[in-house]
Amino acid sequence: MSDSHGPRLSYQPALPIPNGKTCLWLFLSTEIMFFAGLIGTYIVLRFGAVAWPAPHDVLLSEPLGAFNTFVLICSSVTVVLAFEAAKMNQSGKAKGYITLTLLLGCVFLGVKMYEYSHKFEHGIYPVKPHGMVYDKADVYYSAAVRKRLNDLKTPLTAKGPNATEDDKARILVIDEVMKKVDAAETAVRNQPDSPEGVIKLTELAYEIYPPHDQGTVIQAAEAGAIPPAIVVKYAAYEQPTADGKSEGKGEEREGINEKNPWLRLPIMIPGGPMWASTYFLLTGFHAIHVIVGLIAFALMLFTTLDRSRATLVENVGLYWHFVDLVWIFLFPLLYLF
Amino acid sequence: MKHFWALLFLLVPIFGVLTFVLAPYYNHSFPRDISENGRVIDQLFYFILYLTGVLFVATEGALFYFMWKYNGRTNREPVKYSHGSHTLEVVWTILPAVTLLFIAIYQMNAWADAKMRKPDIPVTAEITGRQFNWDVRYPGPDGILHTPDDIILVDGEIHFPAGEEILLSIKAADVLHSFFLPNIRMKQDVVPGMQQYMWFKCRESKAEVDIVCAELCGWGHYKMSGRATFEPRSEFNAWLAKKSAEQQAHRITQATP
Amino acid sequence: MSTITADSHAHAHGEHAHVGSFLSTYVFSRDHKVIGIQFLFSTLVWFFIGGLLALGVRWQLAYPWSDMPILGKLLFSAQGGQIAPETYTMLFTMHASVMIFLVIIPILAGAFGNFLIPLMIGADDMAFPTLNMLSYWFMWPAFAAFGASFFIGTGPMSGWTSYPPLSLTIEAQKFWLVGLTCVGVSSMMGSVNYLTTIIQMRAPGMTMFRLPMTIWAMFITAVLQAFALPVLTAAGFMQLADLTLGTGFFIPEGWSANNTLHAAGGGQPLLWQHLFWFYSHPAVYIMILPAMGMVSDIIACFARKPLFGYKPMVYSIAGIAGLGFIVWGHHMFVSGMSPVLGMTFMVATMFIALPSAIKVFNWLGTIWGAKIQFTTPMLFALSFVAMFIIGGLSGIFMAATPVDIFIHDTYFIVAHFHYVLFAGTAMGVFGAIYFWFPKMFGRMMNEEWGKVHFFLTFVFLNCVFYPMHILGWVGFPRRLADPYHYETFRHLLALNQFITWCAILMVASQIIFAINFFYSIFFGPVAGRNPWHSNTLEWQAPSPPGHGNFDFQPVIYRGPYEYGSPEVDIDYYPQTMPPPQNRPAAVPAH
Ligand code: HEA
Ligand code: HEA
Ligand code: CUA
Ligand SMILES: [Cu+2]
Repeated sequence: MSDSHGPRLSYQPALPIPNGKTCLWLFLSTEIMFFAGLIGTYIVLRFGAVAWPAPHDVLLSEPLGAFNTFVLICSSVTVVLAFEAAKMNQSGKAKGYITLTLLLGCVFLGVKMYEYSHKFEHGIYPVKPHGMVYDKADVYYSAAVRKRLNDLKTPLTAKGPNATEDDKARILVIDEVMKKVDAAETAVRNQPDSPEGVIKLTELAYEIYPPHDQGTVIQAAEAGAIPPAIVVKYAAYEQPTADGKSEGKGEEREGINEKNPWLRLPIMIPGGPMWASTYFLLTGFHAIHVIVGLIAFALMLFTTLDRSRATLVENVGLYWHFVDLVWIFLFPLLYLF
Repeated sequence: MKHFWALLFLLVPIFGVLTFVLAPYYNHSFPRDISENGRVIDQLFYFILYLTGVLFVATEGALFYFMWKYNGRTNREPVKYSHGSHTLEVVWTILPAVTLLFIAIYQMNAWADAKMRKPDIPVTAEITGRQFNWDVRYPGPDGILHTPDDIILVDGEIHFPAGEEILLSIKAADVLHSFFLPNIRMKQDVVPGMQQYMWFKCRESKAEVDIVCAELCGWGHYKMSGRATFEPRSEFNAWLAKKSAEQQAHRITQATP
Repeated sequence: MSTITADSHAHAHGEHAHVGSFLSTYVFSRDHKVIGIQFLFSTLVWFFIGGLLALGVRWQLAYPWSDMPILGKLLFSAQGGQIAPETYTMLFTMHASVMIFLVIIPILAGAFGNFLIPLMIGADDMAFPTLNMLSYWFMWPAFAAFGASFFIGTGPMSGWTSYPPLSLTIEAQKFWLVGLTCVGVSSMMGSVNYLTTIIQMRAPGMTMFRLPMTIWAMFITAVLQAFALPVLTAAGFMQLADLTLGTGFFIPEGWSANNTLHAAGGGQPLLWQHLFWFYSHPAVYIMILPAMGMVSDIIACFARKPLFGYKPMVYSIAGIAGLGFIVWGHHMFVSGMSPVLGMTFMVATMFIALPSAIKVFNWLGTIWGAKIQFTTPMLFALSFVAMFIIGGLSGIFMAATPVDIFIHDTYFIVAHFHYVLFAGTAMGVFGAIYFWFPKMFGRMMNEEWGKVHFFLTFVFLNCVFYPMHILGWVGFPRRLADPYHYETFRHLLALNQFITWCAILMVASQIIFAINFFYSIFFGPVAGRNPWHSNTLEWQAPSPPGHGNFDFQPVIYRGPYEYGSPEVDIDYYPQTMPPPQNRPAAVPAH
């Protein structure tokens, strides 16, 4: 269309950088506000919450998180190296570093996927209208457990004489849990004004999915999310056994759910649903940003990364540093505090 | 009609002021105030009305005057080639700033009275908004809320003792609502999961007024109305006793089918 | 007219033969002017729809539960032409959503921002034409989503503010939120593009303080959008997640609806209000600053006099924008937010009136000692000033917290924001359309009919919105399908009927505008480059400007408001005209 175009116009730019870079900086500042909104929400909800799970309660592993942080930092370095190489007009070398960055990004996502699936296995994720995680052991919770048990039992009993040994064993387990649910519900019904029922329910919940951190149990009790009496019982429960091992080390105890993975009973983690909401929101949006970056890297591999493309490499690199920076905020926020 | 447009703009302040002057004569102004503290709010409203009224007439008047005087068709003088005036800018920054600061400080006390200085008295009643009704729970003979002798009413008829400070604890069962008593000049949104308080005093000995839901709460928002009746303590007690008895009787018939 | 004409550059080029198909020229165009005009047409169509929705609202308020003539048959035939309460709720929700998200914001930034920015700063296009095109095409999913939401269940019905938990019980809210997000993405793409363009692509000599007010306003609006909008987008995603994924950000403890306990809570409904208003308060300035900028240009042009206090005007726009970020809480005075916080927001809100005051006084200063030409755009611009004063002053009542206790969620608020939004911004936009129409389409709009349109709109809009202050004074609540069953408000029916009839007449008067608009596109008198004898750069380009905008290299010698300068013997002094010492002795076009 050049024939209809007027003369080439000259401008007086205010900043000594290319337009693309200006735009990218502006875009990153909108991104900062976006994540500020998300992180602000997390902070408000977390500190407004009655109880909040400790990282271990929700199966967060600090070493994994730290590893991922390390991976991302390395990838930030490789992208800088790619930029340097491109500036030197060494397209091949630049591509090598971009490939490396791409790989590191994939490692990050892989670890993230493993972490997600680990949580999904235990039912820690939001579902509509209600997920498997309950805030407290109340009647809604026991109703949910009962429903799950019945759902499991019906097909098993329907098999009648065809039931295998395995099925029979399962029915036994189900009946045993059901007895506990019955006992707790009876207590709730018969003495609505005494905490006895709630204590029973909470105990059951902790048997299904034991707390991983004594600290949060105490905190939750102080905040009124679980009956205070449970702390005493829980502490007793935690007494060193005859062989003198296990001192408050929750992780070593196996819950009913863990012993029987097929059960997948609803679990109770005070503050758990809210935790899941914010965790998946924050890490999810971060992961989307990672994926976008990886797509950009992948596309770059199809071009020659010589000096003329150095700005492109620089811009994508800037974006990547931003993604990295967000993670550096998220990691301590989610894993360490 | 060389000055047609200027005159049209002159109508703005004229009708603007006239509307506010005349409306009260047609009963189109504040609803009757039956409260003790509402007067403060009304006075503040009138104060701001007069103040902004003056600014309104002044600015719209100036606009009209300039449109008249500097009409290109009649104004033979050359335009004033001026890029502004530093002095004027300073003047018309400082003057409004002072005015605004004054309004800001002037109203703080009324706000604190209405929303911050919660009186140290027992809760008169607990109001719960639910789609689409106002439920009320009186503490009953023992004077304590959430005990078995509470009196719970769900027909939107709420009685209060007149001439006494009243403290309401208000909340929402499902979505946002807003408890609005136009004649008391009081409004408070209720948020599910939060507990709010509202306090006021009726200075008339007998009054029956509207309760309005002032926050959108669904399709039935428009019909979420109620009636608040203020009556002397003795009548109020009698009414409460009657309601208590009714509730008792109801419970007994329920228990023995 | 003197021999020195601003049109001295007009020569040669003539017709611009376009290469490329119809599609690439008019539909998937990357030319900022075409995109601007696309925005203009789409928003005008939605403006019309939004106006009809408003009439639905008005009908119910004047004749509650009665059959609505004509439109009723069309829209609510299932209900026998009547407006059901849920329909009423949907009507005002969609009226506001359409007006705000599909009309005012895109018409200001999208239509005028796009069309004017490169032209007024001397660039041949936006910095990123493809991004610009995308920002328009991202409006289409928004149009589709908002349009579809009408037909899902009862339609979105939790107000344009979409407060949870109510909004979480409404099916159509998902579509509404998707629409909102698309508008957000579109605005975000637009704003970074505008900012880059204004920062990097000004013509030589066009320093920041030689920019026309329109550009300053667009610049600061873009900053507001870039910084406030992402927060709303984040909040929108969260509400969407609450609706579809079962998260619980805005769901309070133990909340149930439709007999199911929802994700066991711990969320905070007030958080949404904070996030929403963190965007939507700056957004009200997004919805007025560009109009203020365009009005400043129009007023200076037809006052034939420099804009009074250019720098204070720029600083006050920046001040409004800055303060705009810390006043959002004034929408939440009675929401249950801490009253102490309310008090701080009150003080900040009071002070945001200050920069607005400066602007009003400077507009008055501009027409002081002027030679006013009462053209149609000028009339609209002057009415913007007159009406903004009313809307702004009513803001002071609401900023006063104790008064807000009474008038919050009454028609006083409705009066306030229609005065700033309709009587202010929309009138400013009408003025801008009349003013820049010749540049957009190369033809003039009819002045006489323009004045009739102005007169009718001006009169009726005051009849519609001014009495709403009185309604609010009585405490008449907004968003109520039938307020008359309250004893307190029964006597207000007559006033409401008056308002409704005036509203019907006002919408009817817009037919004059629509006819004038379309007729003039094809048959209006041909406009030269600079029909208004304006100084700013866009008027030195051909009308309509060809691809690449300028047929010469613009060089800027002065600010945009040198009207009536003693340096030249005409009453304007275009930004590109060289000063006498640089000028060849005989100036006529070579
Ligand atoms: C373009 C849009 C726009 C603009 C510019 C404004 C401008 C202002 N608004 Fe408005 N506002 C809205 C759009 C806008 N508003 C909308 C849409 C809502 C409702 C949302 C909803 O709930 O649905 C709303 C609601 C709203 C509320 C909440 C009310 C409530 O819900 O209870 C408040 C409260 O403080 C408020 C205040 C103000 C103030 C102080 C200004 C100031 O900026 C005004 C400043 C201007 C002047 C003051 C006039 C000119 C100055 C002079 C003539 C000089 C002299 C003046 C003095 C010294 C006082 N607005
Ligand atoms: C920019 C914003 C804007 C605009 C322009 C308007 C315009 C109008 N509004 Fe709107 N309104 C809002 C924003 C706006 N409104 C908002 C935010 C709310 C709050 C909603 C809520 O509570 O959630 C509201 C609520 C609201 C209510 C309160 C409802 C309630 O609370 O119960 C009422 C009632 O009278 C009303 C009436 C009107 C009327 C009569 C108009 C008239 O001015 C309309 C006139 C229409 C036109 C003039 C259009 C004409 C068409 C053209 C000019 C196009 C020509 C076409 C071509 C050339 C193709 N509005
Ligand atoms: Cu309850 Cu509106
Ligand atoms: Cu605001």
